[in-house]
Amino acid sequence: MPIQPEKVRARRNRFGLGVVLLFALSATVCIPGADAQTQSLNPAGTPSNPSATPQPLPGVTVFAQHCAVCHGQQGEGRSALISIAGPSLQAEHDLNHVLGAIREGRGVMPGFATTLRAQDIQDVAGYVTRGLATIPLQGGNIGEGGELYSMYCAACHRTAARGGALAFVGVNAPDLMNKSPAVVAGAIRWGPGPMPAFPATVLNDQQLDSIVQYVSYVQHPAKPGGITLNWYGPVAEGVGAWVFVFVLGGFTMWIEKGGKG
Amino acid sequence: MSDFPPRWLDSRVRMARFLRNAMNHIFPDHWSFMLGEIAFYAFGILVITGTFLALFFKGSSLKTIYHGPYHPLDGVQVSAAYQSVLHLSFGVPAGLLIRQMHHWAADIFIGAIIAHMARIYFTAAYRRPREINWLVGVTLLFLALVNGYLGYSICGDLLSGAGLRIGYAIMLSVPVIGPWLTFLALGGTVPVNTTVPRLYALHIFLVPALISVLLAVHLGIIWRQLHTNYPGPQRTDDTIVGSRLWPSYTLKSLGLFLLLFGVVAGLGGLVQIDPVWIYGPYNPAAILPGAQPDWYLGWVEGAMRLFPGINLHLGHWLIPEVFFPGALFPILVFLLLYSYPWIDKLISLDTREHNVLRLPRQQPFNTAFGCSVLVFVLILLIAGGDDVVVTAMGKSVVAFRDLLRWLVFVAPALTFCVVYGICRGRAMPTSSPR
Amino acid sequence: MSDEREKSTEAGAAFFLGGVLGWLARGLGRPSQRVTLPASPQEIASLPNRPGQSTPKNTESVRDCGCAERRRAADRSLDPVGINLIRRERSGAFLVVLLFAAAMGGSIGFLVTYWTGGSNQMLGGTLTLFFGGLGAAAVIWAHNLTANKEAVGPRERGDAAEAHNAAAETFAEGTRDIQRRKMLAWMSAGGAGLFGAMVLSAFRSLGLSPDTSLYTEVWKRGQRLMTVDGKPVRVDALTPGSTTIVFPEDSVGSEKAQTVLLRVDPDLLRLPRQRVGWAPMGNLAYSRVCTHAGCSVGMYETTSHQLMCPCHQSTFDVLNGAEPTGGPAARPLPQLPLYADNDGILRAAGGFSEPPGPGFWGMPS
Repeated sequence: MPIQPEKVRARRNRFGLGVVLLFALSATVCIPGADAQTQSLNPAGTPSNPSATPQPLPGVTVFAQHCAVCHGQQGEGRSALISIAGPSLQAEHDLNHVLGAIREGRGVMPGFATTLRAQDIQDVAGYVTRGLATIPLQGGNIGEGGELYSMYCAACHRTAARGGALAFVGVNAPDLMNKSPAVVAGAIRWGPGPMPAFPATVLNDQQLDSIVQYVSYVQHPAKPGGITLNWYGPVAEGVGAWVFVFVLGGFTMWIEKGGKG
Repeated sequence: MSDFPPRWLDSRVRMARFLRNAMNHIFPDHWSFMLGEIAFYAFGILVITGTFLALFFKGSSLKTIYHGPYHPLDGVQVSAAYQSVLHLSFGVPAGLLIRQMHHWAADIFIGAIIAHMARIYFTAAYRRPREINWLVGVTLLFLALVNGYLGYSICGDLLSGAGLRIGYAIMLSVPVIGPWLTFLALGGTVPVNTTVPRLYALHIFLVPALISVLLAVHLGIIWRQLHTNYPGPQRTDDTIVGSRLWPSYTLKSLGLFLLLFGVVAGLGGLVQIDPVWIYGPYNPAAILPGAQPDWYLGWVEGAMRLFPGINLHLGHWLIPEVFFPGALFPILVFLLLYSYPWIDKLISLDTREHNVLRLPRQQPFNTAFGCSVLVFVLILLIAGGDDVVVTAMGKSVVAFRDLLRWLVFVAPALTFCVVYGICRGRAMPTSSPR
Repeated sequence: MSDEREKSTEAGAAFFLGGVLGWLARGLGRPSQRVTLPASPQEIASLPNRPGQSTPKNTESVRDCGCAERRRAADRSLDPVGINLIRRERSGAFLVVLLFAAAMGGSIGFLVTYWTGGSNQMLGGTLTLFFGGLGAAAVIWAHNLTANKEAVGPRERGDAAEAHNAAAETFAEGTRDIQRRKMLAWMSAGGAGLFGAMVLSAFRSLGLSPDTSLYTEVWKRGQRLMTVDGKPVRVDALTPGSTTIVFPEDSVGSEKAQTVLLRVDPDLLRLPRQRVGWAPMGNLAYSRVCTHAGCSVGMYETTSHQLMCPCHQSTFDVLNGAEPTGGPAARPLPQLPLYADNDGILRAAGGFSEPPGPGFWGMPS
C-alpha cells in the first residue's frame, strides 16, 4: 500500500525527537563536568561540586616524570642496592635549597636548569616543600635527642655520628658529617638500604626533631678536651699513650747518654 | 751551709749514718734502668691528680637531672657520679686538665710497667736472688690493671657502663662460683646502686694502698739487693758500678720526673681522652660501638672477639664461651708470668745467684719466647680494636677477624723461629757471663 | 675551623720548641773526656765499705759519726774508676738559664690562663713548658754542671753461707725449745683453716647471694609491650623493616628486660615449628641483651635480616630464632612469644624462651 505522508511525518518526528533527547541527555552529563572544571580553576573560590576530587598541585607530573625515578613516588627515597639513589624529600621545607638543588644538581644528582622550564622548576619545588614534605622539624630538644641517639642510632653510626663498622660484608653505616637535617630526618623515617625504618609509631615527630638537632650539633661539637683523634676512643688513646711511652724512653736515653749500665 | 740539711735532720733524729749510706748508694747508669722509674713517677702523678679529683667526684649512682654549662645534656637524667664528672670538666677551673692528666698518666703508667717488665724479662733480671721482686712486680702489674679498669668504670658514662656489663658477664661465666662471685663483687645485676660506690672505694683506697705497700717492698728489695749491672768493665757478681745517688742520680731522676710531668700535662691539655660528655650517660637500653676497654685490657677484649662461640656443656651445667677468653686466658697468662723465674731455671738449669744481667742474645729461648709473646699480645690488642681499625680503613670486620684468627697463631710461631735463629747466630760464648 | 687551626698551631709550636731544645741539649749531653784509673780486683776487694757504697773524697761529712775507726776507714781509698771532667760548663749554664726562663714563662702563662679562665689547651701547654723546662734544666745540670764520678762498690752476696747460718741456727735453736712441735703445727693449721673459713663466710655480708633474678624469664603472659616512654605497641605499628625497643609493663627501662621488636615480611620467616605462632603479622621480639657478654644488641641490618651486637660483632639471624651466624656468641637470643589482643595491642604470650643475658654455671637449658 502507498506510504501515507502523515505516518511518515510522525515517524520522522518521533525519530528526530529521540535524537534531540539523546543529545540533551548527553549534554546534561557533559556540561556539568565542564562546569566543575571551570569552577575549580576559578580563583575566586566558588564552591565546587562536593563530589568532585581535589586537583593535584602543579609540578606533580613533572615530579613523576623526572624525580620519582630516584626519589620515589612520594619522595620517600629510593635505594640502589646498598647505596642511596635519591634521599628522602619528606623533610625538605627549605624552598631555596630545593630550587638550588634542582637547578644545579647535588653530588650524583644532575642539574635540571637546561632541561626543565623555569616555571616547571618552581612548580616542582613548591610541590616538594608543600606537598611531599610531611615531616615537620620542630618541637624537639637536644638533650632528648642525645638519649634517643644513644639508644637507636649510636650502635651503627658511632660516637658523634662519625660512622661505624658493621660486620656485614660491604655494608657500613656512614658518617653523618655532611648530612643536612632534612636528609637525616628523611632517612630515619624511610630506612635507606640496610638501615631500619623508624615510623612515627616508633619515633614521633618531636622525637625525630630531637635526634636531628643532636646530629646537627655533633657534626661540629665543642672540643674542650683538645685533639679528638676523630672520636675513635680508647683504641686511639692507647696508640697515643704508647707513642709517648716511646718518647719517654727517648728521654731516658738522653738522660743516661753514655751510661754503660 | 751546704751541709745544713743533713746536720739539721741528724741533730734531731740521728740519721747521719743512714743518710750517708743513702747518698753514696750506687745506681748503675743505663737508660733501660729508668723505665721502672717512669712507672713509679707516673704513679706519683696519679696520686696527686687523683687526690684533686677525689675532692669533686661523687661515687654515687643516684639519679639526678643535669643542669649545667654543657647545654646538649641539659635536662637529661644522669647519675650523680656522671654529673660530678661533668661539673669537674666544665665547672671547675683546670678540672678538665687534671682529669685528662689523670687518665693519660694511667695509660702511660701501665705502658711503662710493661716496658719495664719487658726489660727485666729480656735481660733475665728475675733470676736469683730477685725472684721475690719479680713476683711483687707482676702483682703490681695486676693491681695497676685492676685499678685502671675501676677508675674509668665509675664515671657513669655509656662507654664505661658497657665495660661494666662485659665485666659482669665474664665474672658470671666462671664455673661453679661465678654467680656467687658476681653478686658478691657487684651486688647483683649491673648496674645497681651499690656498684659504683663500691668500685669507687676500691679505686681510691684499697687498691692504691696495696700498690703503695708493694711499691715500697719493691723498691726496698732493690735497695737492699742493689741494682743489677749489664756485662762490662769491672762489672761482676761481686761489684756494683754506677753513679751515686747524691748528686748525680738525684738530678737525673728529678729531671725524668719533671719531663714526665711535662708530657702528661701536655697530653692532658692538648689531647682529649675519655670525652664522657659525648658518650652520654649510662642508659641500659643504649650502646655504642668502639666499646673497647682502655688499651691495657685490649688483649682480653681481642681474645673475646676472636675466640669462637664454643660452649661447654657438662651434663646440666654450662661453661659459657666467654669464660675461656675472658677469665681463663688472663688467669693462665698471669700464672705463666708468676712462674717464669722457675721455668727459666728449668730450661737453663741455672740456679746460681746473678748480679750481672744476661744479654738477650745470650738467651735464645727466652728472647724468642718473649718476642713471640709480645707479637701475640700485639695481635690481640689489634683484634680488640678491630672495629675501629676497620672503620678507619673501610674494610669488612668479618674478613679482618678471620685474618687475625689465623695470624694470632702463625705470627708468634714465625717470630719465635726468626728471633731464635738471630740469637743463636749472634750468640756470644755463654760459658762465662762477664 | 680557626679554633682547630689555633690548637694545632699551639701543638705544633710546642713540639717544635721541644724538638729544638732536645736537639740543642743532645749535643751538650755528650759525656766529656773521661779519665779512667784502672783498679785491680785486689784494690776493689780491699775496699772497707758497706755494700753498695763508695767512699767520698772528702771526709768532713763523717765528722759526727762519733767513731774513730769508721773515720779512719773512710779516709782510706777513693773512687778508683771514672772521673769525668766538666766540659762546656759555660754553655751548659747558658742553656740552663734559658730553660729556667722558659719555665718561668710557662708558669706565668699558666697563672694568667688560669685566672682569666682560658682554654684547657693553654693550661696544658703552659704547664708543659714549665715542667719540661725544669726537667730539661735538671738533666743538663746533671750532664754538664755536675762532676759525674762513676763509682764502684762491693756487693754482699746472698748465697754467702755465713750470713744464712747465723739466722738459721738461731731459728733452729729456738724451735728446739718448743715442745710437742707436731701437735702445735697441726693445731695451728687447723686454727688458720677455720679462721679462713670464718673470714670467707663474712664476705656474704657484702652482697646478696644469687637470687632468682638470675633464672627468670622476665616476661609474664599477657603483659603489654611498652616503648621506653611508656606507650603500648599495636600489632600494625611497625612497618616491615622497622624496629623499636620495648619493655614489659612493670619494668620499663630495665636492663635485663629490654627487648627488640622488629617486623619482617611473614613469608620470609623460618622459625622452628613450635614457634610458628610467636610472630603475629611478622612481628618478632627477641631479648636485646647479648648472650655473649651482655651488651645491648643494637644494630639491625634489614637486607640480610640480622641483628648485630656492636661490642664483639656477634650476628644473629632474625628469621630463624636469632641463631648466631657469626662472631663469638654461642647461644641464640631468647625469643619472646607474641600475640595480638582484641584491640590489636601486642602482648607477650609467655616469658622468654630462656633466661636472657650471658650464660652462667647452672643456667637452665
